[in-house]
Amino acid sequence: MDRRFLSALGEIYPGNRLLTRDVELLPYESDALTAFQTKPGAVALPDNADEVIATVRLCHERGVPFVARGSGTSLSGGSLPIADGLTIALNRLNRIKHIDPQQRIAIVEPGVVNLHISQAAQPHGLYYAPDPSSQSICTIGGNIAFNSGGAHCLKYGMTSNHVLGMNVVLADGSLTEFGGESLDGCGIGPDLIGLFVGSEGLFGIALELTLRLLPLPELYRTVLAAFDDLGQAGDAVSAVVASGLLPGAIEIMDRLAIRAAETVGANYPDAEALLIVELEGEAQQVEAEFAQLRELIDRSGAFEIRTAQSEDERARIWKGRKSAFSAVGRLYPDYIVQDGVVPRSRLGEALLKIDASKRRYGLEVANVFHAGDGNLHPLILFDGREKGALHKAEALAGEILAMCVELGGSITGEHGVGVEKRDYMPAMFSETELDVMLALRKAIDPREIANRGKMFPGGEAPALTMQGMHPLERQGVISRE
Amino acid sequence: MIASEKQIREFVGAHDRLHVRGLGSKPALHQVDAPILDMSALGGIVDYQPQEFTLTVRAGTPLREVIDALAEQGQYLPFDPLLPDSASIGGTVASNLSGSRRHRFGGARDFVLGAAVVDGAGQAYTVGGKVVKNAAGFDLAKFLVGSLGRYAILTELTVKVFPDVPQFRSLRFRYANLADALTASYAINSSHFDLDALDILPGADGAAVLARLGGFSDSLPARAERFRDFVAKTTAPQHIEGSKDELSLWDCVAGLGGACLAKVTLAPRQLLALDAAVDKAQRRYILAGNIAFVACEDADWLGDALAGLGLRGLLLRGGARSPLLGAPLENVLAARVKATLDPLGKLV
Ligand SMILES: Cc1cc2nc3c(=O)[nH]c(=O)nc-3n(C[C@H](O)[C@H](O)[C@H](O)COP(=O)(O)OP(=O)(O)OC[C@H]3O[C@@H](n4cnc5c(N)ncnc54)[C@H](O)[C@@H]3O)c2cc1C
Repeated sequence: MDRRFLSALGEIYPGNRLLTRDVELLPYESDALTAFQTKPGAVALPDNADEVIATVRLCHERGVPFVARGSGTSLSGGSLPIADGLTIALNRLNRIKHIDPQQRIAIVEPGVVNLHISQAAQPHGLYYAPDPSSQSICTIGGNIAFNSGGAHCLKYGMTSNHVLGMNVVLADGSLTEFGGESLDGCGIGPDLIGLFVGSEGLFGIALELTLRLLPLPELYRTVLAAFDDLGQAGDAVSAVVASGLLPGAIEIMDRLAIRAAETVGANYPDAEALLIVELEGEAQQVEAEFAQLRELIDRSGAFEIRTAQSEDERARIWKGRKSAFSAVGRLYPDYIVQDGVVPRSRLGEALLKIDASKRRYGLEVANVFHAGDGNLHPLILFDGREKGALHKAEALAGEILAMCVELGGSITGEHGVGVEKRDYMPAMFSETELDVMLALRKAIDPREIANRGKMFPGGEAPALTMQGMHPLERQGVISRE
Repeated sequence: MIASEKQIREFVGAHDRLHVRGLGSKPALHQVDAPILDMSALGGIVDYQPQEFTLTVRAGTPLREVIDALAEQGQYLPFDPLLPDSASIGGTVASNLSGSRRHRFGGARDFVLGAAVVDGAGQAYTVGGKVVKNAAGFDLAKFLVGSLGRYAILTELTVKVFPDVPQFRSLRFRYANLADALTASYAINSSHFDLDALDILPGADGAAVLARLGGFSDSLPARAERFRDFVAKTTAPQHIEGSKDELSLWDCVAGLGGACLAKVTLAPRQLLALDAAVDKAQRRYILAGNIAFVACEDADWLGDALAGLGLRGLLLRGGARSPLLGAPLENVLAARVKATLDPLGKLV
């Protein structure tokens, strides 16, 4: 890294908040998509927004690319460093500045961990709704960048639907704010929040967020149904949707994912497919809807049906589902988590196609998905020690994404494009559409320094290496559940 | 008559400046000195998949047509478009106008999934997606919500729809003054009751909170009873009243007469100050005091009042220097988008 740049940085970061030595940089070499690893030029650990602003301005002035980083749990290489670039790690900007229970809002810094917001809101009977499985470690800044979702996003939406206001430093150092404390968000004029959320760190860095909180539902009613056949589980989803019910979550797991969940003691029935449906809301309403739901599930051909009778039982049903990714990771040396979307009514067709593809490749695939919104998460399992295995797994992943587009869906529902899916963008977007997005990026970031190399096809490909644990996991700094 | 995307592109190509108009239900938005691109002939539902909760529709389609088609399948537009009997869906999304029922699940931005557009350079393309979940690329479809046709012309929209509930109950709670009504609204809005709508109505003597519950017939009466008890106990209203003819209560701008009508976006903590500043106007607050509709005789007066409070408004009816009232809307990020989508500044 350029010495003059480093010494200028040193003036912003006194003491040990600027990391440049190899051993210090190691934990930042990749995110949760560990197939990609790049050593950053340096890592800065700002304490406040002013330091972030000064850093971005310096980067812009000197043309040095930077990556904002939350907890590094991106599954698409979104927070992968740029060789000789600067990683700006935002974990110290972790203050919950204000919770206003009357207006039902929280004002937070970007490094705040998702779950901590709900914990802070809980005494007021409120919570922050989007619940990615990684919520105990991932940050709001990362959630903003990817418009992250979770199992409970069917009814109340993804991250974007819960952001009311933002303060941002754009990649060229200009400051701007939009939206505010109103539940109407931007309200009048274009929806800048909608544009910034999901921009994968390519526009700049979010410095402060105003978030919408929701009242904690009075009652949850959760049912788990076991099937001999994945198709039956899919049909049950269609029946639920057609009935006019609007559950908070509809999730499906297949045999391999069920088996993996056993390693965390989920104690699920031995089945080909499990369906989890959860209703939430006012007690009397939920009870009435639940009776209707039970009738549907009873007629769905499930061989075993369990309903959670207590908060404890509900937590147990979810534990297996929420830790499915990591549980599968314990069964196999390596895996790729895929993320694609198909129209809900074509889920069955998609699963059959995945099944056929995996046989052709001779690989195992575990399926976990947000069935309510057609969001598939096939986990492609392989052994990275075998020669060519990673490339075979990637080819299968690519085939699955192509299928999603072909069925009228999307190459990503919530994990983003990052580096992983750059080359699939042309499958989803026309040349004109990509040109417009690139022109927009350049209008906002003329030197293309913010998260350079992400989202857009082309560019130099970072080195592909072995899969494995996240470096922070290897060091025991983070764990998943 | 413009009836195809091709004609729109030609229109853009043939003009230096132009202004997009849907069905013209909000005349204040169209007081511009520029050729009008009339979208009213670009109508019709393109694709409706009740099972997918998605609907694709041409921008000039009357809302009523959309609402009726959805109702046949027991579904609805949860963002509760304003002026359902006179506005087009494109115009509603472009001006981000929702009614009281947006309280339950969100506004237009929360339900727009994708769009087909023609930009200021005359290029046609799509933004966003057609499925309920999609995280690929920049979300320009959301950006265009509220953009007043000044960045790109919406030609087609894909929106998320939800199943509707069959029955409703509405309750009116009266308080001695607006401050008490606001306090009650706070308590109700952070309670676990799933309300369909929650409005605040200032009056000559006191103020009222108007709440609506929606649901299935077997549980609704008991829920309404319980809700009533909760509100009575926690907020001590002076008077509680149920309504027989409850549907008519929820056209939130119906009762607001006057030459001018504007929407104002606010935080509830600004409500009392706003109300004091515009107390000679008629007003109704929806979304638990987060959106106001204000009717008065003089839009410039209203604009000045809003500017003084740092608030923004959008004029729907009546004359003014600009339909954008109050605090300025200029924003560096929006300007960059404008330079990209409409480099010649054609769309006004
Ligand atoms: C076990 C596991 C389970 C997961 N489950 C889910 C799930 O259920 N749903 C889901 O959606 N995702 C899931 N993810 C993916 C990941 O957790 C999310 O993408 C999350 O939002 C990333 O947050 P982070 O703090 O780790 O961000 P990082 O990985 O550090 O960064 C992600 C992106 O955000 C950008 N960024 C970070 N902070 C800012 C900021 N302040 N301003 C602008 N850009 C910024 C970065 O540049 C990068 O592009 C899972 C990941 C793991 C490992």
